[in-house]
Amino acid sequence: MRNDTIHLAGVYTKTVMKSWFQYSVDAVLRSLAVFIREAVGIVVIYFSMLKFDTLNGWNIHELMFLFSLLFLTYGILILFFTGMRDFWKTVRDGSFDRFILRPRGLLFQLIFSNADWFAAIGHGGLGIVLFVISAGKLGIIWNAGTVVYYILAVIGGVLIQGAMFVFVAALNIYLLQTDSLVTLFYWDLRKFAGYPISIFHRAIQFCMIYVVPFAFVNYFPSQFLLRKEDMAGYPAVYMYLTPVIGVCMYLAAYGFWRYSIRFYKSSGN
Amino acid sequence: MSLIEVNGVSKAFRVSRRSAGIPGMLANLIRPKYEKKQAVNDISFSIEEGEMVGFIGPNGAGKSTTIKMLSGILYPDSGSVRVNGYIPYKQRKSYVGSIGVVFGQKSQLQWDLPVIDSFELLKAIYRVPEDVYQKNLKRFTDMLDMSGFLNQPVRQLSLGQRMRADIVAALLHSPKIVFFDEPTIGVDVVGKETIRNFLCELNEKDGITMLFTTHDMQDIEKTCKRLIIIDQGAKVYDGLLAGIRSAYGTTRQLDVEFSDDCTVAPIEHVEMKELDAPGGRKKRFLFESKEVQIDALMSSLLAAYAIRDLTVSEPEIEGLIRKIYSGEVVR
Repeated sequence: MRNDTIHLAGVYTKTVMKSWFQYSVDAVLRSLAVFIREAVGIVVIYFSMLKFDTLNGWNIHELMFLFSLLFLTYGILILFFTGMRDFWKTVRDGSFDRFILRPRGLLFQLIFSNADWFAAIGHGGLGIVLFVISAGKLGIIWNAGTVVYYILAVIGGVLIQGAMFVFVAALNIYLLQTDSLVTLFYWDLRKFAGYPISIFHRAIQFCMIYVVPFAFVNYFPSQFLLRKEDMAGYPAVYMYLTPVIGVCMYLAAYGFWRYSIRFYKSSGN
Repeated sequence: MSLIEVNGVSKAFRVSRRSAGIPGMLANLIRPKYEKKQAVNDISFSIEEGEMVGFIGPNGAGKSTTIKMLSGILYPDSGSVRVNGYIPYKQRKSYVGSIGVVFGQKSQLQWDLPVIDSFELLKAIYRVPEDVYQKNLKRFTDMLDMSGFLNQPVRQLSLGQRMRADIVAALLHSPKIVFFDEPTIGVDVVGKETIRNFLCELNEKDGITMLFTTHDMQDIEKTCKRLIIIDQGAKVYDGLLAGIRSAYGTTRQLDVEFSDDCTVAPIEHVEMKELDAPGGRKKRFLFESKEVQIDALMSSLLAAYAIRDLTVSEPEIEGLIRKIYSGEVVR
């Protein structure tokens, strides 16, 4: 049974890859385009930061480390949750009906038939580049403990954002169109997440910690490894919560999805 | 117990009703108005194993909604559906392996990839054993003459080829029941004939139970013995195709070509139409078979006039269905 599911995931992945490679130049350029689009933003910040020494105690390499977590988790995220992010499209063009007609988990089908490998390479690649540039200059001691912590933090960060997409997908069943909601709560708030949240107004900090908890994706995990002074403003336990919050949010979102799916109304006639 | 049992099923959709223009749009934003649209209203029927049933009705009659409830995509608001011992919308995962569904308007094939890749994916999804898969693939592709385009990307196929591929895609896992929603839409005459023959053969040899919707009455006449007609969400006819004629098709038509121009005096219970100019040679007589004996009518005409040709015709099914849709026939 397990084997069979892995087999299907493999066949799905092969099919998705083949589809992309029907237009192979475009596929490769897509990775590059995503990489450059996101990297340009970082370059702008880099040169701005040459004018200031630090941002609330964070130097440019520490900022890049913060960004690297954001991009790395997003790269992994869109391998698994593109189908949830774009769920409204699947509903609108009627292909979700087809998933219902197949004897497999709906979430499983949505995930594996939509994995966006090339965008993932763009985002993830940038995350790795930023990590390589910054991590060596920050004096982080990499031992078994910190490596395990880092891996758990990345998984937690993926789950936190994945939960947001699953949640929005479930909301889509009631609201039918949710891409603006994703822009507002995901993309707009994500723009704050590249910086230490301590520089922002309290309301924004509140949002980033308790409403759309991007702070747990990169800020608090980075604090565990970097121990900057501004951590004093938050409970120390927050540095350890990322995996817990990830799992809890994901389970809650999944529950909401399971509950909502029975209200699904097929599109068209 | 029948293979498919539908009992008093209803389904309504909430449609947002918008007044026109920008003020209407704003009003809708503040207080959305909804209208209830009853798509299916208290429908019941049952289908036995091995039956092939045509399911027809005008656009918006509720055919697709019914198919979606039968296949488990939609929950009925009330009533019960039971297919092959399952409640489709509750036992989705165990149920859908035993059915196949073809939506003529919506392909399930991978658009950019060769047909065979979609089939391989379906094989993995439905856990079809290799030998069964190869056997089904070979048999169906031979029957539908598909070997020529199995390796072509779906986007390059003609509509007829794509439809055949979609039908095979729904059958690879050897389903017991297949629902077709307009399986011949947009397909040319030859293609339609191929598809009909294929479906008939599967029904006869494999005993696959089939229910299909179509707007092409030839599809029904050439494949189904039984017909269910729905209109505005309610069932209006359920019975043998042949029964339609005896139930609704009691009007007979007699076309007469006289040897010379003439006028015919009105006959009781018979409606006369001039097919040429008034007083011309060709005339049509319409009457109810229970009111007028056809032999009596013919002999009275033959006795009074010189006649060159006579044709008696029964009403066509298509014409009858049209009458049922437009409400001319009393239900």
